[in-house]
Amino acid sequence: MTHRNKAAIAGIGQTEFSKDSGRSTLHMALEAILQALDDAGLAVEDVDAVVKMGANDDIFEIDLLRSLNLPNLRYFNEVPHGGGAACGTIAGATAAVVAGMADVVVTFRSLNERSERRFGESSVGGGLTHWRQYNLPHGLVTPAQWVAIFGQRYLHEFGYTTEELGHVSVLTRKHAATNPHAMMYERPITMDEHQNSRWISEPLRLLDCCLDTDGACAAIVVSAEKAKQLRSTPAYIAAAAQGTGSRAEMMTSYQRKSLAHLEESEATAKELYRVAELGPKDIDVIEIYDPFTPMVLMQLEAYGFAELGKSPALFHSGRLELDGDLPFNTHGGHLGEGYLHGFGHIVEGVRQIRGTAVNQPDGVNTCLVSSGVGVPTSGVILSKEPY
Amino acid sequence: MSDFPRPFPARDRDTAPFWEAQDNHILQFQKCSQCAHIRYVVGPLCPECRSFDFGWIASSGRGTIYSFTVVRHQTHPAFEPPYTVLLVEMEEGPRVIAQLRAPEDADVGIGTRVHVEWEDHEQQSLPVFVPEA
Repeated sequence: MTHRNKAAIAGIGQTEFSKDSGRSTLHMALEAILQALDDAGLAVEDVDAVVKMGANDDIFEIDLLRSLNLPNLRYFNEVPHGGGAACGTIAGATAAVVAGMADVVVTFRSLNERSERRFGESSVGGGLTHWRQYNLPHGLVTPAQWVAIFGQRYLHEFGYTTEELGHVSVLTRKHAATNPHAMMYERPITMDEHQNSRWISEPLRLLDCCLDTDGACAAIVVSAEKAKQLRSTPAYIAAAAQGTGSRAEMMTSYQRKSLAHLEESEATAKELYRVAELGPKDIDVIEIYDPFTPMVLMQLEAYGFAELGKSPALFHSGRLELDGDLPFNTHGGHLGEGYLHGFGHIVEGVRQIRGTAVNQPDGVNTCLVSSGVGVPTSGVILSKEPY
Repeated sequence: MSDFPRPFPARDRDTAPFWEAQDNHILQFQKCSQCAHIRYVVGPLCPECRSFDFGWIASSGRGTIYSFTVVRHQTHPAFEPPYTVLLVEMEEGPRVIAQLRAPEDADVGIGTRVHVEWEDHEQQSLPVFVPEA
């Protein structure tokens, strides 16, 4: 038995993405959740479960529950590991629905990541515990710096220059440029601009790094049977999975045998394709978690869209463009639309299946969405029809 | 140097011997008593054979740069860029994070052989790496 196509995303919602939302993360989360319920044609009274992302969140579950004043809640859970949790909330919601523990599950992400709490800055003092104690005392303190170690090794092993990172950024910003919801709407970049942007942590330049964003997204998961009765077009969950790897740390898993492999993403891919009974060639659109450009290249390989070390060629081939056979980050991703910890990718995946995205290729039947990278992660494959 | 204190480790029942040794300028790793696997970072269980039994071994202090980053954008008040953080594969196997100490024009990159030297800070002595002559 698997959960293949037994649940669906029936509602999506999102606020505007900005540098300063002017309101609390709780306020934005509630807006996105109510919008998603309305999108599905459901009422607050229909909600009986909440699965939320855990780390780096200043929304307390109890505040959310009190604010929505949920009368019929019977299942709640929280998924750890930062951005790695985004599709994990869909996996948790699917599990609850398929197990009969819930009918209507709310999932969401809300961040004032630009105006209140920037993940790219740190003033942490003493008393470091866990994995952080081995890295932060040496000045390796932020995600860009942790990931730069992986990126440098990747470029070295396969003999690439930072221009290959630039191709990721240029294409993603091209897609953001035609998305009115994107922070970088009508602001495409050139390779020269990428190569001349200032260094952050070599080999990463400013234009290799995701945006800082205020905003919120939400998605409603229901059973496939229920989804058919609702007013929105269902995005069936062909598979939802979580995965981790050897000697796992948070973006600093430097003890594993090879830093050229994203073991967490490889594990997630394997489980997604097993459950969905699909392979990479069956995927029509991909929404790949893009915190830093090297992690996009490595994920394209982990999810089987290119062999190890060969993903840069995908960007030269045109295949990832909107008129290619594998359109990539159609909304503009974290590099161009906004950084919602992978939830913007989920919402865009649903729009792609519905056929309602602003950058909408023809004939989309399947969409693969990935979540946070170099951490225990997750992914989903969405499908237009159950099969 | 910045006046802001550098973040330092909180010693716990697993990690205290590791950090105490660093205050004595010794880089040491755990060696499994059952399967002889040398492990880092510090933990109570061997990741290879799941034995709790281990002893500490001192590193030779020598290794090879496996990867690195030159930090050029300040993100923490205690660390003023530019500075280079290395991931060094030690002769014993584990890979260790620490800063590079070398002249600005030194030819240093992946594959460069380095050795440990020590810097004393108020809360914790920490290793740095210097290229081999």
